[in-house]
Amino acid sequence: MEVRPILSTLFRNKTAPLLIAAQVALTLAIVANSLYIIRERLASAARPSGIDEPNIGWINLSPIGEVADPKTLQDIDLNAIRTIPGVKSAAWVNMMPLTQSGWSSGGMSLKEGDDNSGLGSAHYFSPDSLIDTLGVKLIAGRDFTPDDVFEHDPDQGSALPKSVIITKALAEALKPGETELGKLVGQRLFNAAEQPVTIIGIIERLQTPWSNAGSDGEQSYILPIRYVTGSFQYAVRSEPGQLERVMKEASETLAKLRSDRVLNSQRTFAEIRASRYANELLMAGLLIAVTVFLLLITASGIVGLSSLWVNQRRKQIGVRRALGARRIDVIRYFLVENMLITTGGVLIGLVLTLALNQVLVRQMEVPRLPIEYIGFGMVIMWLLGVASVLGPALRAARVPPAVATRTV
Amino acid sequence: MFFYYLKLGAVNLKRNPIITALMVITLAVGVAAAMTTLTILRGMSGDPIPHKSDRLFYVQIDSGPIGRESASGDPDPQLTYADTMNLWRAAKAPRQTPLMGTSGTISPERKDLAPFLTTGLAVGSDFFTMFDVPMLEGQAWTGAQDKAGADVVVITRALRNRMFGENQSAVGKRLTLSQRELTIVGVLDTWNPLPKFYRLVGSNRYGNHEDYFVPIEYAVRVESGIEGQVSCTSRPDPGFKGFLDSDCTWLQYWVELGRADDRQGYLDYLGAYVDEQKKLDRLPRPINNRVSDVMAWMERQGVIDNDTVVATWLAFAFLGVCLVNTVGLLLAKFSARPGEIGVRRALGASRSEIFSQFLTEAGVIGLVGAGLGIALTIAALAYVRQYAQDIALLTEMDLVMLFATIAISLTAALGAGLLPTWRACQVLPAAQLKSQ
Repeated sequence: MEVRPILSTLFRNKTAPLLIAAQVALTLAIVANSLYIIRERLASAARPSGIDEPNIGWINLSPIGEVADPKTLQDIDLNAIRTIPGVKSAAWVNMMPLTQSGWSSGGMSLKEGDDNSGLGSAHYFSPDSLIDTLGVKLIAGRDFTPDDVFEHDPDQGSALPKSVIITKALAEALKPGETELGKLVGQRLFNAAEQPVTIIGIIERLQTPWSNAGSDGEQSYILPIRYVTGSFQYAVRSEPGQLERVMKEASETLAKLRSDRVLNSQRTFAEIRASRYANELLMAGLLIAVTVFLLLITASGIVGLSSLWVNQRRKQIGVRRALGARRIDVIRYFLVENMLITTGGVLIGLVLTLALNQVLVRQMEVPRLPIEYIGFGMVIMWLLGVASVLGPALRAARVPPAVATRTV
Repeated sequence: MFFYYLKLGAVNLKRNPIITALMVITLAVGVAAAMTTLTILRGMSGDPIPHKSDRLFYVQIDSGPIGRESASGDPDPQLTYADTMNLWRAAKAPRQTPLMGTSGTISPERKDLAPFLTTGLAVGSDFFTMFDVPMLEGQAWTGAQDKAGADVVVITRALRNRMFGENQSAVGKRLTLSQRELTIVGVLDTWNPLPKFYRLVGSNRYGNHEDYFVPIEYAVRVESGIEGQVSCTSRPDPGFKGFLDSDCTWLQYWVELGRADDRQGYLDYLGAYVDEQKKLDRLPRPINNRVSDVMAWMERQGVIDNDTVVATWLAFAFLGVCLVNTVGLLLAKFSARPGEIGVRRALGASRSEIFSQFLTEAGVIGLVGAGLGIALTIAALAYVRQYAQDIALLTEMDLVMLFATIAISLTAALGAGLLPTWRACQVLPAAQLKSQ
């Protein structure tokens, strides 16, 4: 291999190779860190909520003033929704996953008096079956029956339900290390309600309204409570593919029932998800755009400078060809030269990548970059270098040997 | 000579059109990425009320029971009803206001307008003077109306336009809010401080400014709905009365002091207040009060979004790559013209003449890049505005940022032009003339 002559040529004319190496180094640092952040954001936005997302919508109505008999009105509303063709199930529910506002409780524990357990949980309640309406999956125990449901009027007193359904994530947090979560069924849970409640079922997953990272985002429980106030919020589950029409009909039907309420919001779960993760997706989108532009720009830089070299060295190339070098030798020369420069850049870039990651970790609480992203970034840079220099190298190979004979 | 060089630079843009276009695009994209993120970061971290941010203080009292302290040791970000009202009624600061998020349904008198739900704030009358809220017409309610919880309301210009139409006076008119009649006493002029520093807890920080303002005693009297964060360490007794008497925290509280140095005095007063309450079997925790000025409070609440800081860092690193790329391309462009330089030098041009000619040419490229960069920045901000509604109001590009964009592009282009220009000056006239 003719590495030594290439190296000494590079050292004779340092500016341009240094520029390319610097560009490769910076690009590697940014691309490796961006790719990692992009992947993290997309993964966070793709986490499942645990409900039958494509077929669920959420309707909220606000009363204009006092409502005389909210309990009856809730029943009338639900009956009206349930008779709409295409509705599979409907339920009054106090909040929904990913909506970013709702109820929560602290101090969850299987032991009495353990109020400072530090374990928090989202506090769902509904008089209807959320297993039916949200489509969450029961993995142990049973669902509520109408006998389990207690009425709660906040102006009168506290709700006194006796049973609770918890998520798998909450069960694991309550009893770390327990392999058979089914054993928790029948145990008493403290601080979920006014009195201890008995765990009667465990569901696979139900994200909290905040959907934080980690298992925190799935620690939820459901209480069987009928909330007797003028708040009208209904989850609607449609037959597959009919959600749009069902939501439209449902809000029209509810609007026709009474004129003393305002339709506060009417959203499909897809819309709720999009709004919850808008920032994550925006950040990922911006970083993808930056990465793509960066690669394009670096490639164009390499093409530009390599073409310049080819033009400057037409004479030398001609001489080499005249002395017996084949076309492939000329191509190989430029490829090897490019590999050397890119490798130099990648090595500097390695240091820069780690330094940039260090800054991000220390100041921004971004997790540390896994090693494979750096490897991946390096491979991308090598491929990019080779691909960019290929065009100019091919052009160089077409320089005829006769150039050597022309005058200066 | 400068203008001649400027003209030459413009003419030379057409030479090597591909390389030139690449340079302009590279610069523009780099500048646009940096300026877009910087505009948003600047909106997030700016002082929203510069002339008095050091005299406005946010008050915290550590009110929960012993044994359930937060891990950080910080008191709850909000106050209980009892403490808020005690502090407010004592009125130890020159100005003070409680703050409660609320919402209500407005039923317009106009038949063509359906009732709609909107959000508001329940505050004290000092709120408007404390935060320099501009009034379009009318004024805040009086201290007496504060105490009585009078049926009065101040509305925003936007709400007035929606209800009564533009340029229509609203003061003295009635507003039906959740089926209660209120008298409009004032209309705010447009007021959208960013971040929404006066209400950092339980509300969107970069938008959704409230539509109406009512006296807090009124909101409590009519048991109006609470919007925002409510945290309780024990279950309140039933009903609104039970809620008011509970240890739930749900109110925010601001004071304005005469001088920044008066902070310690107010902190001492709070300490004495907590001691007094301890005699009544309230506030069992050791004294742990906080009085933070506007910037300290924003810092405590983590107003600056980490994502934005990361994005800004990456965008500037990106601009760095673009600059290195521009240096390379300029080098290529300039080094294709040794003949021209040789002739000029041979005809008597000094090195500094060549230097200014080529640097001017780099500057022209910078200017074109700046123009395209500004256009791209505006487009990117428009895209962000559409996509992320919670920071939409941060995406306004003002004159400062416009000039900053131009300055950064020019500096970038001139900086990138230095090395290639210096290389151009090194051309030896004799060698060039010989080769022709």
